[in-house]
Amino acid sequence: MSTEDTMHNNEHDHDHHGNFWTTYVFSTDHKMIAKQFLISGIIWALLGGALSVIFRLQLGFPDMDLSWLKPVLGEWIDIQGKLDPEFYLALVTMHGTIMVFFVLTAGLSGTFSNFLIPLQIGARDMASGFMNMLSYWFFFTSSTIMFISLFLETGPASGGWVIYPPLSALPQAMSGSGLGMTMWLVAMALFIVSTLLGGINYITTIINMRTDGMSFTKLPLTIWAFFLTAIIGLLSFPVLLSAALLLIFDRSFGTSFYLSEIYIGGEALPNTGGSPILFQHLFWFLGHPEVYIVLLPSLGITSEIIATNSRKPIFGYRAMIGSMLGIAILSFVVWAHHMFVTGMNPFLGSIFTLLTLIIAIPSAVKVFNYLTTLWKGNLIFTPAMLFSIGLVSYFISGGLTGLFMGNSAIDIQIHDTYFIVAHFHLVMGSAAFFGMLAGVYHWFPKMFGRMMDAKLGYIHFWFTFIGVYLIFFPMHYIGIAGFPRRYYSWTNFDTFNGFTDLNMFVSIAAIFTFVAQFIFLFNFFYSMFKGRRATANPWKSTTLEWTTPVDPGHGNWPGDIPKVYRWPYDLGKPVNDEYAAKFSDEEMKNVPDFIPQNIPFSKTPETNFPNENELIALEDEDDKAIEVK
Amino acid sequence: MNTQLHIMEEPKKTFTIHPKKFAMWLFITTVVMIFASLTSAYIVRQAEGNWLIFELPKILWVNSGIILFSSIFMHWAYVSAKNDNTKNVKIGIGAVAILGFTFLIGQVMAWGDLVNSNIFLVGNPSGSFVYVLTGLHSIHLVGGLIFLLIVLKSTIKLKVHSKNMAQIEMCTTFWHFLGGLWLYLFIFLLLYR
Amino acid sequence: MFQVVIGIGILLVVLILFMLFRIGTLLDVVKGSNQKVVTKSNKVNAALFVVLLVIGFGWIFIYSYVYFDDYNLPLASEHGVETDYMFWVTMAITGVVFLITHILLFIFPIRYSYEENKRALFFPENHKLELIWTIVPAVVLSVLIFKGLQVWGDITSKAPEDAEVVEVMGQQFAWTPRYPGSDNRLGDFDYRLIGDDNKMGVDFTDDGSYDDFIPREIHLPKGKPVLFKIRARDVIHSVYAPHFRVKMDAVPGMPTSFHFVPTKTTAEMRVETGNAEFNYELACAEICGRGHFAMRMIIVVDTPEEYEKWKSEQTSLVAQNEILFNLVPDDKKELAKVKGKVKTEVAAVESSEEVKK
Repeated sequence: MSTEDTMHNNEHDHDHHGNFWTTYVFSTDHKMIAKQFLISGIIWALLGGALSVIFRLQLGFPDMDLSWLKPVLGEWIDIQGKLDPEFYLALVTMHGTIMVFFVLTAGLSGTFSNFLIPLQIGARDMASGFMNMLSYWFFFTSSTIMFISLFLETGPASGGWVIYPPLSALPQAMSGSGLGMTMWLVAMALFIVSTLLGGINYITTIINMRTDGMSFTKLPLTIWAFFLTAIIGLLSFPVLLSAALLLIFDRSFGTSFYLSEIYIGGEALPNTGGSPILFQHLFWFLGHPEVYIVLLPSLGITSEIIATNSRKPIFGYRAMIGSMLGIAILSFVVWAHHMFVTGMNPFLGSIFTLLTLIIAIPSAVKVFNYLTTLWKGNLIFTPAMLFSIGLVSYFISGGLTGLFMGNSAIDIQIHDTYFIVAHFHLVMGSAAFFGMLAGVYHWFPKMFGRMMDAKLGYIHFWFTFIGVYLIFFPMHYIGIAGFPRRYYSWTNFDTFNGFTDLNMFVSIAAIFTFVAQFIFLFNFFYSMFKGRRATANPWKSTTLEWTTPVDPGHGNWPGDIPKVYRWPYDLGKPVNDEYAAKFSDEEMKNVPDFIPQNIPFSKTPETNFPNENELIALEDEDDKAIEVK
Repeated sequence: MNTQLHIMEEPKKTFTIHPKKFAMWLFITTVVMIFASLTSAYIVRQAEGNWLIFELPKILWVNSGIILFSSIFMHWAYVSAKNDNTKNVKIGIGAVAILGFTFLIGQVMAWGDLVNSNIFLVGNPSGSFVYVLTGLHSIHLVGGLIFLLIVLKSTIKLKVHSKNMAQIEMCTTFWHFLGGLWLYLFIFLLLYR
Repeated sequence: MFQVVIGIGILLVVLILFMLFRIGTLLDVVKGSNQKVVTKSNKVNAALFVVLLVIGFGWIFIYSYVYFDDYNLPLASEHGVETDYMFWVTMAITGVVFLITHILLFIFPIRYSYEENKRALFFPENHKLELIWTIVPAVVLSVLIFKGLQVWGDITSKAPEDAEVVEVMGQQFAWTPRYPGSDNRLGDFDYRLIGDDNKMGVDFTDDGSYDDFIPREIHLPKGKPVLFKIRARDVIHSVYAPHFRVKMDAVPGMPTSFHFVPTKTTAEMRVETGNAEFNYELACAEICGRGHFAMRMIIVVDTPEEYEKWKSEQTSLVAQNEILFNLVPDDKKELAKVKGKVKTEVAAVESSEEVKK
């Protein structure tokens, strides 16, 4: 369903290496696979967003007659036009699953890791194009199964995206735990295979296929982010597979890994000795790193965009790498902070509080580094830059509320209330989403050889940025007031039965924000065919992808792969004293404010630092022969 | 736009491991994570009590011997390939495949023994875990067997020799890994009863 | 008909927007602004950040100030004082950080927006700065962690010996409380004994069960420690009593517990909130199926005297339901009659049956 949309995008590319099927469908070219992931991701995001609009209608307008949704939802709307409470849970579950896995994992990593890794490290393609293609098609199959499960008579999986057993293990507990859950598990198993295939490929490519001179200390931060993301995925997704495997055994073969002493549907089940907490441990061992699988690529993309559009180097390149490494490592030892009130040993709770709050330190370092990068910059507000600043804002506001939840004593009250909903939607949902959008705006010229319309981009940004805050900021208030999440309605409780207005406000904001995304959709597809033609390096950036032709063909560079001499952030580099003394004002003005990575130091004597002048001695004749445009 | 690519010689590699071999190691990492998580789940679950203790089938000792033995053959086949002794490679890989298959039969017999001593897949998790761990390992072993057959086919086509070692090297690595993984599981099951 | 009109209306709006967009892009081409590095939009975007900063923070502060009481859930437990205090301390700290970082983030765009002949400051690193903003958060966090773990330790410590025990069982979709009665000991239970009558699976061969009772509301004494013994019958639920700042999952096969001290009676709370119908409520905080949103139970906090009186008025399980009484083994029926205060009629029937045997 995704490939059809991309099939015309290279209409001027007379690069007929293969037929339609090998070029657009079963392509092994990393750029085409990236586009496939992107368009699939966009379709999933629309669907995920639409689901949230439906349940927001229920929450904001509990008395509304939803009969007009009957053509889509069928039996799930009853005769009075009311949404079925169980289907409400199905909507919530599928919204979570789709957004976390299909949009922000596959859509984000799949798109940008595939697209940027070979281009930015100077490789012709991924280590294995075939595996890369398999990765997409496993994802596609998984998507198809998950999509079909939406239309089951018994409904899709409805036990929350965390699928805690016994609820998810027993069809007696809710109808969604029947076939819907089975399909969820099958789809997720395929999804994990897809992610692992992708991850293995990314890591192998980054380690083995960097161009000459591209040492790890010269890698753009995007690549560092994708690299660490892939490693985290490789270590954590197999664990989800184990958790799912045991759940499948419990569901289908009657084992008791997670089930114990259950009386349901008028009978006592024979299972004893299982532990539901065991599932939660296994799940969150993936689940928490998953947060960073979603977030790190966005942070990497943002680092790149903010540096480029501030026309100055990212502040603290090494600190950025260090903090990402810290986050990656710590992400594996904080999982149980999701489980403070599950009856887990309180002592474990103390340890996880400690470890969890430590993770705030590298996150804080990242924020301060972004701010310092903006400081005294020469800021150009492309849509990508705006979305990156938006990401930093969400990362701060969502990250700070993490200090509440991470502290086990405070977590008791706000656990599973709207406070946590606000927290993770800002820090991982919206922030990652903004990273993805920023990436699309920034690399669109490289993907499709055309520019997206900037003005529409600005409108899209401001509507979305403000809209998202209008949705999630009030949720903190509702959360402080104690509203539990995943409630179909609050009218049963006096404690929660206020704030109808606020809920309506949130719902309206959600619909507004959702509708605003159509501006992006229009811009995206319109620009793909009719956008202004791009130049090879429209943002005056330094990384290698901008040294390719406007529409890079299979193999990326028509001639030799460029060699790399310098780090990726030689932006706004000052003229050194020696040259400043003899340069006229005119000459000073003509010194470019960016030096791409493939320019040898011998070509830039006016901006070299003394230690860089020494590096010239290491360059050979070929290097010196490189022409600077 | 001129897209007639003249792909020139690539710049020299910055890292020397063969990409496919490296990918293979990453795959092994994921398998390690699966079994690491399952065995940790085993420990966590055991610590919660209500844990049935039973004897492991004796045949597992025999199976462990078989898989160790097969690793020796695998290594012999690998060395033979290095010395361009195609005949020995064929014999070696054939022997490994037969031993691997015997191991699988042995595992099924072990399940039979478990059933005879009233330990079923469904029941106390201590038994279920044994089935899941051995079963999952066997599935990986079937993958290993398929890989062996692919290498055997290449050997017959004379594609495996001292200048073309990548495939058999990967196969050897994977087979040794499967052997090592089994020993880990076996020792683990012996220690944590 | 109405829908068709709406449809046409939307279509027209979209078309007009599209025309505006086309005209806009054409104008850009005419003006040549699409060739420049930055256009006027750069300043507009930068200014909008400042506008957002002022309006956004203004709104947040005014709204929070005016409506604070609406969202500040009344508090009625001892440990809740501690956790609420910590919550607001954390709120103050994060609030300041939020404010400062956002002022910087939203002021920098206008302060440093693009100028043609300006060059950005080449400032790749500064170890002193980086060290500062690693250490300062670390110190602040250690304080929060230290205080947090102290409170957490108190809350999760062992319940005092004299705590009033209440068993709370979650099921789809209701709570069932059970009190140990006068002997202060809950009878054993076994999930296999659960049935239509014995909905908590109480084991009536255990002496402790004869005076156990299941009331329709949970009553708690003010000022005395209360221990919730929590379990679930089918799937995971979560005991959530918002006013007491209590939350603990109810897990099938794995009993959990939570102890706390209620500090205000329902009557006192009615006065404090000015709501004559105020009731403490118990909700479910872990997704448990279709009726997750409706697992309500009222909690009543009494003065200790009222509480004792209420307890003494309750009928034990064996006295309430003959079928349950019949589950008691014969040799213990006398004991059950005494402990459970089984009314004489029932007892009479029973004894006459015994005589017949």
